[in-house]
Amino acid sequence: MKKFWALFFFFWPTVAIISCLIAPSRGWWFPSAPMSRTGIQIDGLFYLILIIVSITFVGTQYALGYALWMGATKDSASRAHFSHGSHKLEIIWTIVPSFILVFISLSQLDVLAEIRVISKFPEQATKIAEVTARQFEWRIRYPKPGEKLTTEENPGDLYYVNELHVPTGKPVIINLRTQDVQHAFFSPQLRVKQDAVPGLVIPVWFDVLEVGNYDLVCAELCGWGHYKMKARIVAQSQSSVDKYLKELEAEQNEDGTKSEAAKSDE
Amino acid sequence: MSLTPSLKPLALAGLLSAVAAIGGCSDSAFESSFAYSEGTLSLVREAREGTKANPGVKKLLDDRFGDPQQLKAWEKMPIDFGGALTSVAEVKQSESGSQVVKLTVEEGQSLPAKAGTVHFMTGACEGETVQVAQWNAKTGEATLAAISGNEIAAGDSCVIDRGAGLSTGRMLYMRHCSHCHGTSGDGNGPTARYMTPKPRDYRNGVFKFKSTNDMSKASRDDLSRIVKYGIPGTYMPSFLLMKDDEHHAIIEYVRFLSMRGEYERKLVAELSSDYSQTAYESRVESGEKKAEILQELDEFLAEDLKESAGSLGDDLAETWTTADTEEAAIVPSVPREANTPESRRRGRELYLSKTLNCADCHGIDGAGNGPQTIAFEKNPAKGDELYNEPGLHDIWDNLNQPRNLQLGMYRGGRRPIDLFSRIHAGIQGSRMPSFKNTPHEDIWHIVNYVLSIPFETEPGATGVAPSAAEAVAVPAAVTVPVAE
Repeated sequence: MKKFWALFFFFWPTVAIISCLIAPSRGWWFPSAPMSRTGIQIDGLFYLILIIVSITFVGTQYALGYALWMGATKDSASRAHFSHGSHKLEIIWTIVPSFILVFISLSQLDVLAEIRVISKFPEQATKIAEVTARQFEWRIRYPKPGEKLTTEENPGDLYYVNELHVPTGKPVIINLRTQDVQHAFFSPQLRVKQDAVPGLVIPVWFDVLEVGNYDLVCAELCGWGHYKMKARIVAQSQSSVDKYLKELEAEQNEDGTKSEAAKSDE
Repeated sequence: MSLTPSLKPLALAGLLSAVAAIGGCSDSAFESSFAYSEGTLSLVREAREGTKANPGVKKLLDDRFGDPQQLKAWEKMPIDFGGALTSVAEVKQSESGSQVVKLTVEEGQSLPAKAGTVHFMTGACEGETVQVAQWNAKTGEATLAAISGNEIAAGDSCVIDRGAGLSTGRMLYMRHCSHCHGTSGDGNGPTARYMTPKPRDYRNGVFKFKSTNDMSKASRDDLSRIVKYGIPGTYMPSFLLMKDDEHHAIIEYVRFLSMRGEYERKLVAELSSDYSQTAYESRVESGEKKAEILQELDEFLAEDLKESAGSLGDDLAETWTTADTEEAAIVPSVPREANTPESRRRGRELYLSKTLNCADCHGIDGAGNGPQTIAFEKNPAKGDELYNEPGLHDIWDNLNQPRNLQLGMYRGGRRPIDLFSRIHAGIQGSRMPSFKNTPHEDIWHIVNYVLSIPFETEPGATGVAPSAAEAVAVPAAVTVPVAE
């Protein structure tokens, strides 16, 4: 029975090694490959931490298993050795982890700054839209084509809901705000997550690498309809976005007479 | 942390079984029923439940609309009940003696994977619904569970699983809508009590934001826009990501609930003046004999109500059908006036004019604070007794103050045509009247002005000061618009 427990504690780190080795190729950790540049960096950090933590976990577990095994196979008459109170050991297990923690915190600073610090935002990033969260939907406001997005609404702004069109291949900024409670702008595939805080206008930048539809969900429990707060980020080429905005503008200026003419044309 | 992948399935399975044990997993476990309206419940028992020989309101209603578990598709109603339209290609006998019909669909369509019933639309079996015992989706051969008394012939058209669309609609409605709008569409679901404004009660068949004229119901497109884009300024969220067929199913189900509610209301209206509890009691008090009243009621149920049960349905079907036709749609006779300062100035003049008097409710600067909002209104439903709180009320008896136009939040949509429709047809159910007799050019000027209000630096900055003659008149007495 003693040996069973020793083997039991050897078994789990072995499982951990196997799962850590195959996890990246099977995509267990993430909903998809990262679809933005910062997403790739975030995934890199994740794997860095995963490696460090896995090595630590596996090492300590094997050490535990080894100690148990030695105890299980030892002659029961032999005396135990107490290492309690060893200054040398205590210094080692304090300094090594603190170096690891300092290393982790320093290595992620650049990425964090790039994502969060406004002065570090890419210079060519353009503000494309304002996204206003409310219970329980995402309201989108684009500036009038050719105009700049401002915090205040302007005549000619274009409005839509639950669908955000963004150009691919270039950094874009959205202004995030909320009309009521806290929400969080979360796109799992783009690895973008930012809380929307009442009273604040928070710029969020990202660049989408590939054309496609991505999820936009709320990641802050905001009320009973939290689960309904799902929208779509449509990433397309700049020309498709321009075309979409033109159509949206035409739709928004609909006066009910043109469509009649269009109908009779058909 | 690295343990997670190996433990996850176990933990998940445990959690799921716990959830399943507590909540139940299938839709069938969830039973619900349609509530009857207050009107129905106010009738005397015999009018509600029927007499020995004649059905009352409840039965008339249930026979035509069913309950959530067993919905009925009343053919008269202009609802797309769903199902696959097919026609009989061949009728034969199987070896065991049961009847087998071979069904075909039109080119481009495909046969459904499942078939529970076949409903005949034409031929000798017209109107009959037959259970299908066995269904072969590849050949289209349906083995009927019972042999119909009438002859099925090749060429008869029939619908497989008629009502499938409606039950899909019900399922989606129960999942996404019912917690606010209620199982029977009475706007009184469990979450409704926490909301201002209240969720819509469909049972009047009245919808506020629509593109049809003041006399018409909302069209399918109108309901679809609301479901897709939500209503800013209220709790109604957007369901844009739902698939088109799901939108369609939900909208048909909402129309079904509206028609049910309205039909119930119409039936009650036939009876309530003579056979409500209060009417009955006062008749008894005034010396009429109970037995005589009930005898009279029995005759009324047997003849008048039976007759009107059909004609009321016809009326209902017609109004809902009209809503989707061109004759109901609002089409401006002129395109939108160019959005110039002159147009907006003219719009403001009209806004403040005595004839249109928009400022009476919406306020001189459009803040939704006109004099009517602080006046005590009479409640037509309670013998013109004054409401307890000042302000305007809607037909659902909720305080419904005029829109603050400075916010730039347009519940029924922000397209110029949306605002045009609001002004042209008014907003049914609310105190916003129809201005259909106003020239369309003038409505466009007002639309241009209203759209500019959120951007005004000061009231009327986009126009000139109104002339003295057209300055807003504060009425001396509270006027009460006539309720429907």
